[in-house]
Amino acid sequence: MPAAPRMLAVRAENLSKTYAGEAAPITVFRNLSFELPVGVFAAIMGPSGVGKSTLLHLLGGIDRPDAGRVEVFGVSLADLPPAERARFRNARIGFVFQFHHLLPEFTAEENVAFPHRIAGLSSASARQLARELLERVGLADRGAHGARALSGGEQQRVAIARALARNPGLLLADEPTGNLDAESAARVFDLLEQLHRERGMSTILVTHNPELAKRCDKIFTMSREGISPASSFVERG
Amino acid sequence: MSFESFVALRYLAASRKTAHVALISTISIVGLTLGVAALVISLSLLSGFQDRIRAQMAERSPHLSVSPERGAALSDPEKVRRVLQDLPGVLVVEPVVEGRGWLAAASGGAAVPVRYRSAAEGELPPVPDSEEPPIRIAAPIGFRIGVGSGDSVRLTSSRVRLSPIGPLPVSLQLRVADLGRRGSLQRTPEVEVPEPVARTLSGQLSGAHAYEARLRDPASADRAASEAARQLGRDYRVETWRERNASLSFALRLEKLVIFATVALVILVAALNILSNVALLVVEKKRDLGVFTTLGASPRSLAGIYLVLGTAIGAIGTAAGLTLGVGTSWLLDRFRLVPLPPDVYVFSHVPFAVHPREVFLVAVFAFGTALAAATLPARAAARIAPGEAVGLSR
Repeated sequence: MPAAPRMLAVRAENLSKTYAGEAAPITVFRNLSFELPVGVFAAIMGPSGVGKSTLLHLLGGIDRPDAGRVEVFGVSLADLPPAERARFRNARIGFVFQFHHLLPEFTAEENVAFPHRIAGLSSASARQLARELLERVGLADRGAHGARALSGGEQQRVAIARALARNPGLLLADEPTGNLDAESAARVFDLLEQLHRERGMSTILVTHNPELAKRCDKIFTMSREGISPASSFVERG
Repeated sequence: MSFESFVALRYLAASRKTAHVALISTISIVGLTLGVAALVISLSLLSGFQDRIRAQMAERSPHLSVSPERGAALSDPEKVRRVLQDLPGVLVVEPVVEGRGWLAAASGGAAVPVRYRSAAEGELPPVPDSEEPPIRIAAPIGFRIGVGSGDSVRLTSSRVRLSPIGPLPVSLQLRVADLGRRGSLQRTPEVEVPEPVARTLSGQLSGAHAYEARLRDPASADRAASEAARQLGRDYRVETWRERNASLSFALRLEKLVIFATVALVILVAALNILSNVALLVVEKKRDLGVFTTLGASPRSLAGIYLVLGTAIGAIGTAAGLTLGVGTSWLLDRFRLVPLPPDVYVFSHVPFAVHPREVFLVAVFAFGTALAAATLPARAAARIAPGEAVGLSR
């Protein structure tokens, strides 16, 4: 009896994206298709400039493809009006960037509370939830500190907590360890892996680190020709 | 507090490390404060002078005046006098007898044509050591015929009387009591004489050409005039002191409008400063906008942050400016800090008068302008490309 098809967290069909360059338009990729089943921790590897970050932006709905279609948990992002797309992103998608992008005028706790405040929760409720999440990532005593007062690893853990504040089903991490030393990078990845399992998320991790990629359920290789499962690694799960 | 307000107010009160953000906002607030204060002080100064002018107008002008709608004399002067006398708040009702004639120095010289009218009772004190009736002449007239206070003049009416030798003009010799230097605060009669003299010269032995009344409260003139007009009917023209000085009143209003428009340009400059500073903040905080978008903030929410920022700058700047402007005006007036040379000005110091209605108008204008200035950069914030914004730090 054939296995039931796995539900897809992400389905991207025939995506194309071109940016206006200084001299001439720059085509990042053309007719790129990608699928991520629910609950899978996938790594995307590839040389710089092939469009890995651009792909994540398109999958997360913070940029629009010139052609093609993106569905997240069966919802076509392009079909949503801007306000609904924003609400969907707030509730279902989390982002973690290479540079933490914590807001310097705000404390760690306030940064983590932002997704809740954007969703309309009261300040007190948002901060309570933020404190709980900071405790989970091991930074319970750092909530009152500004971003600049934290170490690189701590900043990235706060960024992860912020990305997971609304308990999203999809986490998009764009080289979250790329700016960290080896020890901090390992701690951050461990945290990502644990939270992925705890919360049953679907995660896409862009990384240049093959050791970290090996620990993922699935590895994809991206090049100028497109994206495909990496042939040199065994798919887990 | 909403998410937008929380972020905007934190930007406004930035920490030491991002002090340049607070500096930008502070400059905008200070600019608006100074503009609002300048406008309030300018209007208060103008109002101070204009209030004094209006008070002098009310003091020196008859508050109500009734004259015939057609013809030279009142058809029923007794009715007019009675109606005016019965109006509430009337202090005194006096007849006006007037005419035309020629005035010359008693010692000889050219005569000049003049209009004369009866002075209010007690207005013309008798000249000491003179049995001749007193006369007040407008200064330019006095200069033309070469007379000053204490000199004798001959006033010849245009009316003639019959005599055994034929018609003779009616002429009287009078003593100059006052060479009046009147400004433009009232329609100035060229020559004022006691009522009996006016009646003799004009031949109006009874009745009057018009009646004038003074009120306890000049501000009630409009109401009193309406009532008088209703009772007297269309045969009479009833005017208030404002209507008799309509051109001056219009000039005062126009002056205030021009000053408002001119000084309001300072507020417009402050608003442009707010626009540029908020736009600068949008550019500076582009990455933040990208991050908020990834966290699920809508374009409207992003615009809301900068609208709140503009609102806060507008509110703080306007409130501070009003406080500074009203406080400065009060101090300058209360302690008479700006003296005026007494030989040039009627007032001893520059008067300042703060009118609540004007303060309200300034507040609405300043706050509205600041809010409008923040709208353009707020819209730009909503159109930010988040993917590009979060990629900026790479």
